[in-house]
Amino acid sequence: MTRNVVVTGMGVVSPIGADLGAYWDGLSSGQNGIVNREYTLGGDLSLTLPTAPIDGLDERLNNLGRALSRADRFSQLAVLAADEAIANAGLEIDDETGARMACIIGTGIGGQATFDHGYEQMLRRGKRPHPLSILKIITNAPASHMSIRYGARGPAFAISSACATGAHSIGVCADIIRHGGADVALAGASEAVLTFGALTTWKAMHILASETCRPFSKNRNGLIIGEGAGVLVLEEEERARKRGANIVARLAGFGMNADGKDMINPEVDGAAGAIGLALGDMTINDPSAVYINAHGTGTLLNDPTETKAVREVFGAGADALIMSSTKSMHGHLLGAAGGIEVIASILALNNNVAPPTMNYDVPDPACDLNYAPNEAIERKFDVAISNSFAFGGLNAVVAFEKV
Amino acid sequence: MADIDQPLLEIIKDHAVGLTEAPTRETPIADLGIDSFSIVEIIYEVEEKLGVEVPFNANENPFGEMKSVGDLIDALNTLIEKK
Repeated sequence: MTRNVVVTGMGVVSPIGADLGAYWDGLSSGQNGIVNREYTLGGDLSLTLPTAPIDGLDERLNNLGRALSRADRFSQLAVLAADEAIANAGLEIDDETGARMACIIGTGIGGQATFDHGYEQMLRRGKRPHPLSILKIITNAPASHMSIRYGARGPAFAISSACATGAHSIGVCADIIRHGGADVALAGASEAVLTFGALTTWKAMHILASETCRPFSKNRNGLIIGEGAGVLVLEEEERARKRGANIVARLAGFGMNADGKDMINPEVDGAAGAIGLALGDMTINDPSAVYINAHGTGTLLNDPTETKAVREVFGAGADALIMSSTKSMHGHLLGAAGGIEVIASILALNNNVAPPTMNYDVPDPACDLNYAPNEAIERKFDVAISNSFAFGGLNAVVAFEKV
Repeated sequence: MADIDQPLLEIIKDHAVGLTEAPTRETPIADLGIDSFSIVEIIYEVEEKLGVEVPFNANENPFGEMKSVGDLIDALNTLIEKK
């Protein structure tokens, strides 16, 4: 018997909205979450660059309780999103549900602020790091905090695949439910690397945008790093129906593969292969009813490669669909990108609105799809696809359909 | 040959895995055996060894049309002077 997986709840903390409602308002109105900001570790250790931070969270973070007061920001953001997702799903977690509940929460890096602070203490001040630093840093910290907070005692672990982390976490979690390893789950990802150390390291790679993120625009010049978390409640469909849950969308497919070619340069074949695997044997009768939330980093190489991959999969139908990059608003959340972009995809599907690709001002012949430039597009959608293509050539694509 | 040529040639030489002799301005880029990673590494070493900042953005493909090592040195020089 096939076990279908549905989404029954969503929670998000993003640079353009720190809850689900604000996030959708931001996405659909083309809100800008990118600001020039100084990051410092004291003394002359400082750099100023455009990033996509989340402000105004102090009170909510302080109210998370004692266990989370001892956690790194990436765990705190994840739990904020998970709290909202559980409330959004109307999920009551009793002992029986907890025994069959998974927490698959990824991150690209882990506790970067704790790393930064620990090394600053050791190397500059000759002090020891905080005794709980390891518990703050480890990539499974969000999954562990969630399992403790909610009493979820099924499979719990972190997935890490750079920019594909969120999509991998959601897709793999759905597979666990499909195969009977759990009946309900929290699935998503979190990232909080807006620190002096991490941003200096990113800057050294010479791929950050000088001003803002301009996906698919000819004058794009790189990515903007953001922070945040996106978490879904996934459930086996029959269970969700029995408890009368509001089913937000059905997970229609998941595709993952590896280019096997290069650490930086993306490959059309790998990306197209992953999209094809996510679509599986689904028949797309009307490509104009397809919304794709692009990986769309705004780098020289990603955007034309992704465009070609979509053309390879959809053929002539590619001209009818809409593919936008919401990174133009919330920046690149690295490991958490798939987490919040899957949510953007589902919101687009259910609201029948494609969020825009902002900061698009010069057409590029190598990027020739409908990217919803600078303005949202209302349209009836049947299918939403979220693309994630990571450094190291790792691809993960998740597809959703209306229920 | 400008003053900066020699230190740049030294740095390029360390990355030219395809060469058996020291590179000159006339050496074709294609003979160096460098890849896109090498460019970022070369720029890092230029910044560290010469104490300059090179405002290089890989997304702007500033080295797209290079043919010879001389072109690479001139491009590096232009970036250094831009700063």
